[in-house]
Order: sequence, then structure tokens, then C-alpha cells
Amino acid sequence: MKRVASARTAILLVLAMGLSVGAGGRFDQKLAAEKQIPHALSRLTFGARPGAAAEVSRIGLDAWIDLQLHPERSVENPALAAKVAPLESLNLAPWQIAEKYILPQSMSARPLPSPQSLLTPAQLTMLTTGSVPERLATLDSLTPDVRRQVLAVAPDRIMDGMPQNIRQESARARQAEQEARQKEMRRQAPPLNELLAPDQQRIARNGSNADKLALLESLDPETRRHVIRAVGPQAFIGLPELRRQSMALSQPQQLVNSELIENKLYRAIHSNRQLEEVLVDFWMNHFNVYNGKGQTRVLLTSYERDAIRPHVFGRFRDMLLATARHPAMLIYLDNAQSQAPRDDQTLANASGAATRRPGLNENYGRELMELHTLGVDGGYTQEDVIAVARAFTGWTVYDAAKYAEFQFNPNTHDRKEKIILGHTLAPGRGEQDGLDVIDLLARHPSTARFISWKLAQRFVADDPPQSLVDRMAATFTKTDGDLRAVLQTLFSSTEFWSEGAWQAKLKSPLELVVSAVRALDSDAVDTFALAQRIADLGEPLYGKVEPTGYPNTGEGWASAAGLMGRINFATALTSGQIPGVRFDISQFNFKPPAIVARELLGGSLSSATLEAIEKGIEGREATPSMLTAAVLGSPEFQRR
Amino acid sequence: MLTRRYFLRASAIAAAGSGMAPLWLVRAVAGAERRRKILISIFQRGAADGLNIVVPFFESRYYTLRPTIAIPAPGAANGGIDLDGRFALHPSLRQLKTFWDSGQLAIIHAAGSPAATRSHFEAQDQMESGTPGRTTEDGWLNRALPFPVADASPIRAVAMGAKMPRTLRGNRGGIAVNDLAQFQNRSPELSSMLQNMYAATPDAGLAAPGKGAFDAMRLIDSINRTTYTPANGAQYTGEFGAALRQIARLIKADAGVEAAFADIGGWDHHSNENGSLPGLLQQFGNSLTAFARDMGDRMEDIVLVTMSEFGRTAREDGNAGTDHGHGNVMFVLGGSVRGGRVLGRWPGLEPEQLFEKRDLEVTTDFRSVLGELVQGQFGQPINQVFPGYQAPAPLGLLNT
Repeated sequence: MKRVASARTAILLVLAMGLSVGAGGRFDQKLAAEKQIPHALSRLTFGARPGAAAEVSRIGLDAWIDLQLHPERSVENPALAAKVAPLESLNLAPWQIAEKYILPQSMSARPLPSPQSLLTPAQLTMLTTGSVPERLATLDSLTPDVRRQVLAVAPDRIMDGMPQNIRQESARARQAEQEARQKEMRRQAPPLNELLAPDQQRIARNGSNADKLALLESLDPETRRHVIRAVGPQAFIGLPELRRQSMALSQPQQLVNSELIENKLYRAIHSNRQLEEVLVDFWMNHFNVYNGKGQTRVLLTSYERDAIRPHVFGRFRDMLLATARHPAMLIYLDNAQSQAPRDDQTLANASGAATRRPGLNENYGRELMELHTLGVDGGYTQEDVIAVARAFTGWTVYDAAKYAEFQFNPNTHDRKEKIILGHTLAPGRGEQDGLDVIDLLARHPSTARFISWKLAQRFVADDPPQSLVDRMAATFTKTDGDLRAVLQTLFSSTEFWSEGAWQAKLKSPLELVVSAVRALDSDAVDTFALAQRIADLGEPLYGKVEPTGYPNTGEGWASAAGLMGRINFATALTSGQIPGVRFDISQFNFKPPAIVARELLGGSLSSATLEAIEKGIEGREATPSMLTAAVLGSPEFQRR
Repeated sequence: MLTRRYFLRASAIAAAGSGMAPLWLVRAVAGAERRRKILISIFQRGAADGLNIVVPFFESRYYTLRPTIAIPAPGAANGGIDLDGRFALHPSLRQLKTFWDSGQLAIIHAAGSPAATRSHFEAQDQMESGTPGRTTEDGWLNRALPFPVADASPIRAVAMGAKMPRTLRGNRGGIAVNDLAQFQNRSPELSSMLQNMYAATPDAGLAAPGKGAFDAMRLIDSINRTTYTPANGAQYTGEFGAALRQIARLIKADAGVEAAFADIGGWDHHSNENGSLPGLLQQFGNSLTAFARDMGDRMEDIVLVTMSEFGRTAREDGNAGTDHGHGNVMFVLGGSVRGGRVLGRWPGLEPEQLFEKRDLEVTTDFRSVLGELVQGQFGQPINQVFPGYQAPAPLGLLNT
């Protein structure tokens, strides 16, 4: 217990920094000089680490921004490379991920032999359509082994009218087969109580990490592997290698998604190229793909790496095209299934029931214009939605389960003429239709405005000033959608450097959690528990079902539930209850509240907050963890 | 019955502490004679397919438009559940039929927003605002509440979830609660420090949710001290069920709930609709059923209404799904509901009867449904809650 003194001089110093919160409409008032570095850090990074302001000051603000805009020029944090190196799925192509994580799992269950594989066609016909004596004769002609297998899998109708002893023989064969399979499964995946003594089971499940490691160390390699699988990934939070191993053995598909989340958080927490990570998050949200639809769970790795990340400082058109062709997007918004409408859409199948040939699906066509490019008021009609959907027919995925590659299928493409936003696409141009639509939309003035507005909303304020959006849109148009140039216009604008932008944004759950971890100068050795916390706060990573993505504005996040969750996160973090996050709380020992608050808030501390803290700890022992929890739970820390 | 129904849990009073029970709590105990009416809004996000939820099986055109995904007529294999010889419930909603039979469930078909948008977020924002064609900062259910007196319950209007839905945003109180069990802070010192901090903050955007959070925390903490067992064998299922169970728990604590909100997502069935709709409907219907059972005779004072941003195309699309459409179906459930009827004018499914030749027309404005409920439950004038809206003759949804 350390007594934290209050220091009046420090308060005055902090208050002299000047405070204004939620200052809308003051975009023409220049931001005070001492706020400029904290402001830049709050917008271009996931939150400042201690010492960051001094570093920016040393490099120079303009030079630092330029460095953030050109990540290839800065040296990456070597600790980050070591953290992401074990995440093997990150560097694999979709087909390799399928080969390594999906196909082995689906093949591990031994299929039941089918009667077809055991019998000659003549025997099969006799057994399925013959009279009782014919069926009996067929069974008698089989070797004992084949007879047993056939009886174990024979459908009920083969037993119709058969003598009691044969039916009993079949029932016995069935049961024996089932028991053999269960035995096989237990051999492949024995439960924990067959592997360990009761006291060992307790350690494996609920022991300290040190005890778990000692226990595993004492086992032979085969048993160790079984125990790691049987106890499950949840038992290894804070021990990332064992957790991944457990996941690989029990739910390999989950491991791919889990590694993607780990990667995102390691980078957000430790990368020196912070703006790049902020932008990857922004664009992944803009071109949202939900990880729970079909194969998207294992395709998102490639989607982020190949379709989004390479283009965040590049051309909008290239990113748009990369998302349009990526199997993750093609599956998520159903374009993979969309086909040319036909006149003879409805067929009757052999049994007389109606079936339908696949036809047009509007889902991608609509969201492409509404959410990805023009914006909902961008000037398109329902006819445009249908025409765009028709243009993209044939853009599909080749063998989604195994190879998951983009494929243009001319057989399902709508060859007729289309009119889109007043432009005519001549008939019979195949894949070129979609490419033309991408170009048309990427260069449309509504897109320039919508993308500029959305970026300004992320970096300046929930309701960004129109003057800024107009200038960004002009840059967008002039540079043919050069996103770095658009950001340069943004970061050199008077609106960005205005009092109106200061602390104007509420952090998303991801931003709040990562900024708190960074503010304490933490080392993340495992990000599993952090990801869970972010999900609990309402933002499961890669888990937004709707194509709109998560809100970019504060109104949705500023709720009682949200605040209670944030305060509880701050409490858990600072009292060391989030496994996998290491920091030195003693860095705050003996420091007065004003200094601690100043260090963590970077100059946004209000006198009201400081007074509440000082009054709260007056005359009592205040631990550094309580003090830091109060600061990280404060209104100021919820903003950036 | 009344004494049992309005009995205030002793633990709630005990937890509030002797001599410091907030005024609303004292009043709730003393004023137990005032029957508190409750309105609950359920949002089906993603545009639910009303035509397969309440099936117009008398329309042969329905079967022509949906050759592979139509729900067979009652009596056929996997057929719908006959309501009135014209409409049938989806078979996964079997449990709701009980309430139809007892007259507590009314259905309004071809209902929805007159705005033509087929954008999910725009239509949701507008419907939750209660202002078709535009979005307002506050929501219709917040405006439907009487202006709060200073000592109104901190949970008078409660939304289930981490985010505050637009439906309940506004200046008449209302908080979002994600998980009752997590709605607490284990350190009393830190709690009071943060409470003071948020009470004094100059940050206008966070002061209100901060106050709401700490006020509600004390109350919810007291509710959490008792264990909760749903009554009458009610079985809640899924995430949506968990949300309704928490609403039920708060209502039964007699802690001043007047309005509640819950949502259920996943209705955007562009492909393989019959693969995913049944499971979702089962969660939906069974959870509503569980809630009504759990509430028992409290349902006399509760009205629950369901809505979705728009309906889906009358014709199935190319992938055994449906695309974004227009008119939809709404459910109204409650003890005072004049149910057992499918209300609203049926516009028909012939090409010239469809909205823009593709979607079910809207013949009942969703505001006329909500307006009647707001008036019946809270006595609020309709045009205060839905500004500029001229309500037509009432449908007669509630017993007066």
C-alpha cells in the first residue's frame, strides 16, 4: 500500500493545459499548441504510450505524421515480429489453410462402409429388391466379415419380413459397429478422466499456469498431447502456445480465426506503424465481412492481408476491386451464388417437387453502392441495384471448401445489355462488366464525397465540417482516389487542428481497450482475454453480422451498459486480472493523482475529474491500481 | 391478486439501505395501487420475411412467386398453422398459437414504413426514430414516455445490449443493460469516486449515461442478490431468450420499468432461407412464449410489439432466398390485446398490387399500430410521439 499524496502545484500545472470537452462547431478555432501532439497521437494511433509525446516532439510533428503516412520508412518494433511469428495461419493462402486446418478434420471421422462398397451390383439388387428367400440366400453367400458389415449398415427395409434370428443378428452387428466406433473415438480423443488422476485433473483445469506447466512436463509426449486437447483452449489463457496447440487439436477452424484476432491486437498494441493499423481497422469495418457465414471464418485472413492491407495508402479503386473479387466478400454478400436470371427458372425435379435454377441475388449490388461507394444518398435507384447485380453475375468462387479462388464463370453471367447510373454496358462483355462497374463507382463524385466524409468522421468528429469533406473529395477526384493524398489533405487541414476536433470522438471498445493497455506501457504476451473483453463491450472482432460494420460515431457507444463495462475493464486491467497483459504498476508508486492522470490522459484532464479523484482518496490508502482504474475509467479516457 | 402482483421485493428495499431509500422506491411501495403499464418493443434486425412468417396461403399467387421456399398450406406436410382460413403461422411459431387462441395475440399484415428505402441501416434508423423519411436523434419509445419526475426509476426504460438503440434514445430516461450479473463494480470506493466524477463532468455526452449507470447499478445490485427462477415453467431459448428473461426479471422486481427494448438479428435471408429461418423463428417464438408465461397475470398490464425495418421481395430470388422488399408483418401480444385477428387491409400479390411491382404493399403505417399502443399504455397523444403524423381510424388493438 502506497500513500498517494496530492500536490496542488501539479493540479495547477495540469489545469493550465486548458480543457474543453465535446466542443462541437469550433472547427475554425486553432488548437492550442500544447494540445497538438496529444491530439495527433489520439487520432493517428491506438493511444499514446508513455514517452510517445516526447518522441514525436523530438522527430517533429510534421515529420512524424509523414512517417506514419509512409510506414515502409519506419523501423518496425522487433518485439512484434516475435509475437506474430508463431501465428502460422497468417501467411497461408486459403487453399493451404483448408489443407492444414479444415480438410484433416472433416476426414478424421471414419465413414461407415456403404452396402454399395461391400457388394457386387447383382448382390445389391437382390438384397434391396429380392424376396425374403432371395435376400436370405444373398446373405448366406457372403463371407462372415462382409455379412457382419452389411448387416451393421443395412437399411430397415432390407430387414422387412426377415426371420427373427436374422433381425437379431443385424441388431447385434449394428451395436458392435457403434461400440467399435466409440472405442475408436475414445482412442483418438480420450477424455481427461482416462488420462489423469483426479488431483491432476483439477490442476489441468483450474491450477495456476505454473502448476499446469509442471504437470504437462511430467507427462509422456503422447499423454501430454491428449491432455492439452482434452482440457481445452480456455484452460490456457495467458499461455498462448499451449492454447493454440489445444485449439489446433480440438477446433482447428477456430484457430485460424483466433490467430487473426491475436494478430490484430498484437499489431494495435505493439506496432510502430500505428496509422497503418488504424486504417486497416477502418477499412475492414468499411468493407465489413462477418466471420460466421460459410467459409468466411477461414478466408478473412487472406481478405485482410491481400485485399485490404496492401491498399490502405494506395488507390481506392484497387481496394474496391480487391474486395469485389475476394472469396470472403463474394460469399458474405452472396454474389458467388448470383446468376443470370432465366425465363425457365423453375423446373420440376424427378419426384415432381419444384426446384429452381439459381438466379439473381441483389445483395452485393446494393451494398456495393450503399455502403462501399456512393453512400445511401449517392443517387442510385432500385433499377441500378438490379443492373449492377446483373453485371456481377458470373463473379464467383471456385471450390470454396478447398481452393477458394476467384473465378469468372461465363455460363452464369448475364450477357444482356445493362444500364447503370446512365451508363450503358453493351451486351456480351463478360467479366468486363464488373470491372467497368468498379471503375464507374470508384470514380463517381458521390464516392469521393462519401469516402471523404467517412474518413473525416473517423479522424475529426462525428459530424465533420462540410468544408473539410469538400476539400478531401476534391483531392480524391484530382488524384484518382489516392488515399494517402486524401489523408494528407485531412492531416494538414485547419479543421483537423481545431478546438472543435479536440477530444470530439468517443473511443470504440477496441480503441478503449488497446489505448488502456498502451497507456500502462504494457507488454501483451497473450491477447485472448483482451479480445473477449472487447467482444463483451459490444464489438466482437470480425464478428459484425451486418454489412454496415460497427458505428463510427459515439452515440451508439455512449450507453450506461457501455460505461459500466468500460469501468469494469479498467478495474480488471489495473488490478492485474486480465491474463496475458504485463505492466509495471509500480511506475505509479508515490505519484500524486494529478501526475498519474496527466501521464495517462495526455492533457485532457478536467478539474472535475481531478477533484473527484482527490476527494475520493482523501484520508485513505489509495493503491496505484485504484488510482489508475479511476483515471482509465474517467470520461476523458473514453474520448480521443 | 393485486397485492401479489404489485408486491415489492423486500430485498430491493433492504438493499437501498435504511433511511436512504430513493424517493421513487418509497413511492413505488406506498403507491402500489397505481397500475404501471409497460410497453415492450422488439426489433427484428435484417428485414424479416413477413410473407413466410404469417403465410397468405389462400393466395395461389404466393405459391407461384415462391416455388421452392413457400410454406405449404395447413394440413400439408410441414404446412403452416391455420389462423383464420386465410393466413397461417410458420410451423416454427407453433407455441405462439396458444396466444392467438386465447385472444392475446393480434397480427397486423402488410404493415410497415411508407418510406421506400431498402437500406437496412436507413430503414432501421427511421423506424426506430418513428419518422419515416428521416432520422431523428431520439427514438419513438423514449418520446412515448411521460416526462420524468426528478425521482423516476433509473430503469424506467431499459434496452438489452451493450449499445443504446435509437428506439430508446432521448431525454426522458432510458439505459442499456448488457448483462445484469455484470452490471456492478466490486470496489465501493472506486465506484463512489467514479460516480462523483461522472456527476460533475463537463462532458455533456457522457454525463447522462454515467448518471444512469451508477443509479441503475445500485438498483440492479439489489435485484441480483436474489436468484431468479422463471415462473410457470417458462423456458427461454438463445440470446434473444436471455434478453427477454432479463427484462422479465426487472419487471418482476417492481423497480419501475415502463418501457423495454430487445432486438434479434439475422433475418437477412438472401439465400437458402428455409435453411436458416426455422431455427431463428423458433428462438423468436419460443422466447416470446416463455416471456408471456413467465409474466403470468402481469401480462394484463404489458403490451409487446414486434417490427422489422422492411419486408422482403414477394418473389423468391435466384438462391432460394429473398431480397429487400417493403411491407411486413407485426405482432402485438398482451393481456389487454384484442387478438385472434389478422388486421390491416390485405393488398394482394398480383403484379399490379405489389409495391413497385415486386414487394408487398404497406397498407398499415407502423406508426398507427405503435400510436394506438402508446396512447393505450401511456395516454400520450400520437402526434407528440410521431410528429406530423395524422393517424387514421384506430385498429382497435387494445381493450379499453
